[in-house]
Amino acid sequence: MNVGSFSREALIAAIVLSILIAIPFFSDSSAIIDFGIRLAAFAVFATSLNMLVGFGGMVSFGHALYFGAGAYSFGLIMQHFALPIPLAFVLAVAFCATVAAIVGAICVRLKEIYFAFLTLAFQMLFHSIIISWTSFTGGDQGLMGGLPRPPFLGLDLVNPVDLYWFAVVVGVVALLLMRYILQSPFGYTLRMVRDNADRAKFLGVNVWRIRLFAFILAGSFGGVGGIIMALLVSGAFPEFTYWTMSGEAVFMVLMGGVNTFIGPVLGAALLLGFNDFITRVTDHHGLALGGIILLFALVFKHGITDFIVQGWQRVAGKKVDS
Amino acid sequence: MQKRSQALASQQRRQLIKGSAAAVGLASIGLPGISLAQNNPIKIGMPTILSGRVAMLGEASRNAALMGVEMFNAAGGLNGRPVELIIRDSKGRPDEAARIARELVNSDGCEMVLDAEASSGAFAVHEVARDLGFLVIHTCSETSALTADPKMRIPNGFRAARQGVQDAIVGGDYAGRVAKEQGLNRWMSVSPDYSYGLDTTAEFFEYLQYFNKDIEVVNSVWPKLFQADYSEPITRLLQGKPQAIYSCLWGGDLTSFIDQASIYGLMNDRQFFGVNMADYAVLTAIKSVPPNIHSGNRYLKSIPKTQQNAAWCDAYVAKFNTMPLNWSWENAVGIDFMLKAIKQTNGTDTKKMSEALAGMTIDSPFGTDGKITMRESDHTIIDYAIAWGDLQPKEPYMSNPYMGNWKTILELEQQWMKNKGYIS
Amino acid sequence: MDSEALLECVTSMSCLVTQTSTGLIVGSLLFLVATGLTMIFGVLGIVNFAHGSLYMLGAYIALSAFRLTDSFIIATAIGALGVGLFSLFFERFFMRRVYGADVLMQLLVCYAFILILDDAVKIIWGSEFQSMGMPAYFQEPPVFLAGGVIPVFYIYLIGIAATMAVGLWVLLNKTKIGKIVRAAAVNPSMTSALGLNTSLIFAGVFAFGGALAGLAGALAAPVRSMSPGMGFSVLIESFIVTVIGGMGSVSGALVGALIIGLIRSFGSIGFPYFIEGVMFITMAAILVLKPSGIMGKETR
Repeated sequence: MNVGSFSREALIAAIVLSILIAIPFFSDSSAIIDFGIRLAAFAVFATSLNMLVGFGGMVSFGHALYFGAGAYSFGLIMQHFALPIPLAFVLAVAFCATVAAIVGAICVRLKEIYFAFLTLAFQMLFHSIIISWTSFTGGDQGLMGGLPRPPFLGLDLVNPVDLYWFAVVVGVVALLLMRYILQSPFGYTLRMVRDNADRAKFLGVNVWRIRLFAFILAGSFGGVGGIIMALLVSGAFPEFTYWTMSGEAVFMVLMGGVNTFIGPVLGAALLLGFNDFITRVTDHHGLALGGIILLFALVFKHGITDFIVQGWQRVAGKKVDS
Repeated sequence: MQKRSQALASQQRRQLIKGSAAAVGLASIGLPGISLAQNNPIKIGMPTILSGRVAMLGEASRNAALMGVEMFNAAGGLNGRPVELIIRDSKGRPDEAARIARELVNSDGCEMVLDAEASSGAFAVHEVARDLGFLVIHTCSETSALTADPKMRIPNGFRAARQGVQDAIVGGDYAGRVAKEQGLNRWMSVSPDYSYGLDTTAEFFEYLQYFNKDIEVVNSVWPKLFQADYSEPITRLLQGKPQAIYSCLWGGDLTSFIDQASIYGLMNDRQFFGVNMADYAVLTAIKSVPPNIHSGNRYLKSIPKTQQNAAWCDAYVAKFNTMPLNWSWENAVGIDFMLKAIKQTNGTDTKKMSEALAGMTIDSPFGTDGKITMRESDHTIIDYAIAWGDLQPKEPYMSNPYMGNWKTILELEQQWMKNKGYIS
Repeated sequence: MDSEALLECVTSMSCLVTQTSTGLIVGSLLFLVATGLTMIFGVLGIVNFAHGSLYMLGAYIALSAFRLTDSFIIATAIGALGVGLFSLFFERFFMRRVYGADVLMQLLVCYAFILILDDAVKIIWGSEFQSMGMPAYFQEPPVFLAGGVIPVFYIYLIGIAATMAVGLWVLLNKTKIGKIVRAAAVNPSMTSALGLNTSLIFAGVFAFGGALAGLAGALAAPVRSMSPGMGFSVLIESFIVTVIGGMGSVSGALVGALIIGLIRSFGSIGFPYFIEGVMFITMAAILVLKPSGIMGKETR
């Protein structure tokens, strides 16, 4: 791994983070703040899915399991124990990693569409449990009564601007970590497994272990997205683990571009933006959103960043390693 | 001549540019284009469900709220200022409901929220109201815990909707009576498997057995919400051979269930107590109301049997070409409370409005004695008309209603709150 | 888990008959929907996520047709045909462009159509739930068989599903068309090289599969209320059925549908709170133990 190129990326991340942190000083708009928090949650969630889909070649239909697991575990810990938020954060992520390890161990052996369906089955099972275990999880009503959010490090997360700063820092750091992991030897091995698992096996790679590791990482980072969301809505809802949430992550990845790292972030921004805009403007958001999605799927046929990368390749006339 | 018009034009252009720069500047910091026009409307945000399977809820709620706002504006508004409802679709997702509530208040200039969300959405919006401190009146959530649980209580949160436990008390009273008359001791239930279904059924049976000690609940079946096929619950019920069945299935589910149960002949030899039957959407969808059916009043034109209620119903039908539903009267009451608070405090200050609302009584076509009160202790409404009765196939559908007695309801409710640990 | 109640039921003739017939009833409509889904996957290699919406469309079209003609048979036929035609249009203009593309792209196109169809249905028929009501000639008292109860309408339904099952078997195994379709499923490029118009075959299979979903929707209309978005629950269940039975296998769809039907009917006695959980666990178990499904072949 090229240390030089990574520190360059860390620098870019630092610059982006500074800009993001500065925004509330120049603008009073709560819309931007709220959008920023949601974007942080979904950008991390979508990128974590792309670790599996784009970089691992493992199409998961059930990624929302981790979004929900993160939100619920964090929410329940705060409601029952009111631990300091950083500690609860770490515990919740650990919970997601554990669940991902168990589910992954079973799923990762399977191929393609069967893997996808099995992840979906596990996610729906999790959803089923959450909905039925009303006494613990609130059932279909979600966690009620709000989450206690004790201040820490001078941040009071009840204050939207503080939450924005927290979310933005966590988001950028999480993305940077994922980038680091994907650019590391592990990341390249993962891509080798994606491209040709049999060849990788002949080269001595333990395919199953690589895939499982990727699955656990993806699940953990997916949980981070859920935690940010739980802080925003001060609760957790079963919709967080429903297949519609998995589907949204898939669309963000597809619309942004599976072959680049930043694609899902862009896709998340696009989908959230479309959603917000369409619900303000019209009652027929089904037609509007459906139309936009068709445009991407049939006309562009690729996510935005893939489009851009392809265009760049054509212009520059050279091959770019993803 | 040309020079002057040019100068004028360029001056206008400069003003236009300044004006639009200002607008863009304002818009970029999140304030909506402040209209420099005379009327500065009071904006009330309304998150609701306008798509998907529960889209009816949003439409019924929206219609009633719009009607209330129109009347208020026609009578002059608040010193000439009209009220404007900004309605947005949360698609039934609680995180969307929370987002929309924030957006309405933060970006769209809404100073209060009429929350027409179903149960989970209501809890979500409630937390946003807790965090941001705006006035919210929930109009569609019947979950008792929303106001009964002290954990949920905030000074700026209110509920203008029927409360599950209050409804159950009347139902238990009525059903206990009927059961005694007809010797119906063996009961079963079929209700949807989610919080509303579980809680409401439990509450009903609690009070049924309180009013009639001979009742035995043999078994309960719990189909999933929006389950299309009720064959297995129906056959289960047939096998249990109950003398009476309770159900809080609602809307399309109830219609499907009744249609399917009829072809099994389930209703033939027993009495059916469906709290959500007396709802115009269900009554008009089912081709013929089967015999032996009892229900609570979701909304019926004839309950209460007053001129005001009939007039409101006629006005609603004339305007929207459809019958009002349960959510309609709840939103009508909600918007009435909100508008009266605005008028009474002569403004939109949240603290003042909240203080005015606690304990406020309004005239309402849906009150037992023409009035409904927003209870001070837990911010939920009382004295609204609750009735149970047996159903006939056509208007007035419930010709012999048993009206709930609020003295009894309040006594038993107090006991219930103590048992739940909500009060000591 | 109420094993006592379950045992009691299995040993009682009336309960056994009733619950088994209930399983057949639940399974019949599921079979029709799942067959379309599994055929489309088997021949075209596409997972048709919009299948539930096709079911919904069939129900609504049949509703309108019934209101116009007052004949259930005509309404059902129009429902099935209408959805078949729509499926053809859908396949020709939209799905064809994502053949061979990532399954996620197919998912995207189908999801877009689910959104559009749900909104379209809401605009055309309204957001209130609708009910067709039982046609007059089915309003008979239920049949009693060894103490168990079976409504007349459901006997008709099971009959239709059984006829379709037999008819499909004959079609696929004993006719030339069936042979062509099976060939296209196994090896489309070879089939095309032999001079057969695979494009036409694909379109035909997609239209047929869609028509089956529409037929199921139309058949269910007399007893199930309909509302925009009603396709979702059918979609999930038919996926479970196809996975259990084997994606691409019609006999698998039959076996899977029966299994799910029986889980539902006996489950409501034995484990009423966890029926869904059992269905997902069964699906997971099959995927782990024999991913190609009970009747599926290993290769696909």
